[in-house]
Amino acid sequence: MCESCTPFLWVAMMFLKVNGRTRDVANEWCDESLLWVLREHLGLAGAKFGCGAGVCGACTVLLDGKAARSCLFAAREVESVEITTIEGLSISGSLHPVQRAWLEESVSQCGYCQAGQIMSAVALLQSNPNPTDREIDAALDGNLCRCGTQQRIRSAIHTAAKLARGGA
Amino acid sequence: MNRRKFLLAAAGGLTVTFSFGCALPVIPKRPRPDLSDAASWIRYASGRYLLTVPRVEMGQNVLTAMKQIACEELAIEPNALAVEMHSTAAIRRARATVGSESIKDFALPLAQACATLREAIESGAGTGMIVARAIPQEALRSFARTARFVGKAVAVEQAREIVTGKPLYASDVRRSNMHFGRVLRANASPELRSTAISMDELAAAKVPGFVAIVRDALLTQGRSEGIGIVSRTPGALERIEAALAIRWQTETEFDQSTIHQAIDIDRRTINGGLSNKVHRETLDLTRPWDVDIRIDVPLAAHAPIEPRVAVAELSGEGRLEMWVGSQDVFYQRDVIAKRLGLGEQNVVVHGMRVGGAFGGKTICTVELEAAALARASKLPIKVQWTRAQEFRHAFHRPPSSHRLRARVRNGSIEDWSHQFASSHILFTNAVLPPWLQRLTDFIGDDGVARGSTLPYRALNKRVEFDLARLPVFTGPWRGLGAGPNVFAIESAIDECARAANVDAVAFRLRHSVVPRMSRALERVASAANWGRALQSSDPAIQRGRGVACGVYKAMSYAAVVADVTIDHGRRTIRVDKLWCAHDCGRIINPDQVRAQCEGNLVWGLGMVLIEELRVAQSQIAATTFLDSPIPRISDVPPMEIVLVDEGEPPTGAGETAIVAAGAAIANAIRNATGVRPTKLPLRYEYLPPRT
Ligand code: FES
Ligand code: FES
Repeated sequence: MCESCTPFLWVAMMFLKVNGRTRDVANEWCDESLLWVLREHLGLAGAKFGCGAGVCGACTVLLDGKAARSCLFAAREVESVEITTIEGLSISGSLHPVQRAWLEESVSQCGYCQAGQIMSAVALLQSNPNPTDREIDAALDGNLCRCGTQQRIRSAIHTAAKLARGGA
Repeated sequence: MNRRKFLLAAAGGLTVTFSFGCALPVIPKRPRPDLSDAASWIRYASGRYLLTVPRVEMGQNVLTAMKQIACEELAIEPNALAVEMHSTAAIRRARATVGSESIKDFALPLAQACATLREAIESGAGTGMIVARAIPQEALRSFARTARFVGKAVAVEQAREIVTGKPLYASDVRRSNMHFGRVLRANASPELRSTAISMDELAAAKVPGFVAIVRDALLTQGRSEGIGIVSRTPGALERIEAALAIRWQTETEFDQSTIHQAIDIDRRTINGGLSNKVHRETLDLTRPWDVDIRIDVPLAAHAPIEPRVAVAELSGEGRLEMWVGSQDVFYQRDVIAKRLGLGEQNVVVHGMRVGGAFGGKTICTVELEAAALARASKLPIKVQWTRAQEFRHAFHRPPSSHRLRARVRNGSIEDWSHQFASSHILFTNAVLPPWLQRLTDFIGDDGVARGSTLPYRALNKRVEFDLARLPVFTGPWRGLGAGPNVFAIESAIDECARAANVDAVAFRLRHSVVPRMSRALERVASAANWGRALQSSDPAIQRGRGVACGVYKAMSYAAVVADVTIDHGRRTIRVDKLWCAHDCGRIINPDQVRAQCEGNLVWGLGMVLIEELRVAQSQIAATTFLDSPIPRISDVPPMEIVLVDEGEPPTGAGETAIVAAGAAIANAIRNATGVRPTKLPLRYEYLPPRT
């Protein structure tokens, strides 16, 4: 429950599986988009609002392991789905290889798009552990970055691929 | 039955109405940071240091740069220093984070304050305020070649929080019992007077999550009346907006041709000279010109990925607390205090990390909306603009239209004429009403003039421009006038080199009157192996190289080489590679200067090949990124950055390379196709058919 909902007033009407935990979603949030539920109801602010129309990728999360735009789904539609947000990437405090690569390559400028970029990169590496530049471009073309970090995103994905293979 | 109810007859109880008279705009204060300000930035208590950064963090990673300087002077490890963003309560007034001046103007006082603190601690001081000493730059560690942190790559502040999704931005702020607000406006430019004539308040009130409709004169922006709505959940705002179905009345109309005509340079010069002079020598207008080109640059959006956002919360004692993603935290405080009639001491504004700004988050818009809705509803309110509002209600880079002419004799520029017309940048119509803007006319607008000074030798020069108030909002955009102006100059200089039949680099070096620009040009030419010819054996493929250089605010210098491929089979223009040499004096953080160069190159690419905001039906036409695209990862080529640091005092890197990037690409297209790009953006479809 977020601090804005009084438990006496709102009966939990729905459950979401987020980052391996079951979270209650209060009645009045069930018609909201998954993005708003994550950010404003559950307090998971990693996924960002950039357009609300599936065009910028800032809100990208994983639904059953696949990259998806959380602004396009109503919370109701993903009730039985495993939702992974950027907050759920690191396991017991140790960063995911993609997160480590992002730090190593100092990718972020303003950083606002980066949670979405990272989630798209995680999904890409799951299906293609060693992507070429061209494959990276194809997979991340829907994740806009206004600051101009694209070159670093590309090299961070290569670095992450190496880290995931256990390389240095 | 007609469910629409006219406002006058609207049901009571749902609507909160406020009314205020028209107010003079608050003008941002721009104090130079001094030593006594700097003393408020650094604190020490029981072995821990706290640095409150007087600049706004928006991706230039200034938190890190300032931390490097502080650690250097305090002689401490980075983990002994906590860094925080500033609120209006934490430090003395700091001016807006604009113009690439954070390092240039803030590095020295920060270093002096920190060095004074170190001396005091070393001599046993434990408590109390210390008066910072004006220690000369040569005696400071930060500016010495032996520095430990300055000039090195260090861990970037907040980087770990970003990759783990921690709340950092104003959009991430959550307050207890926070509600959501939006201010609805007519589908018309806010420069036009528009008013709501009817709305269905009863239908709106039935939408689950509905809380209030707010009518308040404070919600008027430009001349656009705003109708506020408040809801319990953010998605409900859409549904309330739809149910409310406001009908608007808008005065006058305009379209794309209105904008074109207003700034059409050839129409402007029919009656002679233009009103603002940069160089005013007399030219012989009777002889023919060797170079005569016209360049047109369209309106363009900032398009930060974070739409502007603010959270406002009023306490019982009439104190207002706000969280903003703004380039000017103190200005927000000043405007909010004045417009809401609160004393400055009763408004505290917290500056949060900004999700991209680029000059666009400098005025008070969403902040006033949030404050007014919080006051009316007595609830903590978050307002974040929709993407459509970002395009339609914000101000944009003004379009500009340039006529450039030159005469070249014996390999030298004899006469140079650059005439252009644009709309206001510093004296933006988003803040100044027409009568007040007219008062500024005799000063001109330095933002529009920026970059138009010719950095090359010419016997006679005429550079002049006109300003026209447009029916859409225009204002500062990364680099202000320098992006379009240097683009125009570097396009014409390229033609001059052709007219003289001299290599483009050699011609620039021969004419340059700015030694540091020449040095950057030499460095980039050698990095890119300039002079190497590009080959294509495929007749459907044309390849070309171009070069351009420029100066930003007489303090930073850049030169860029671009390689492009025109693929007539695929009907595409692609940039294959960009090289950039960049000189901003002493470098505090090389990796982040490099990052700024990369960002600027991508902006230059977008400016030339992609970006344009079109106007239709009395407003900006775009509502999504599909209507007004920005560069995608597949558009961005490999980039190689050469940093030049010969020890000159540190300046700024945020807006320099953009001045050269666009023209280098355009010059490469000219080289590949023989066609001079004159109208931006240059898309493949706009190329003339091949013969
Ligand atoms: S916010 Fe979901 S794609 Fe832009
Ligand atoms: S880092 Fe700013 S939008 Fe990508």
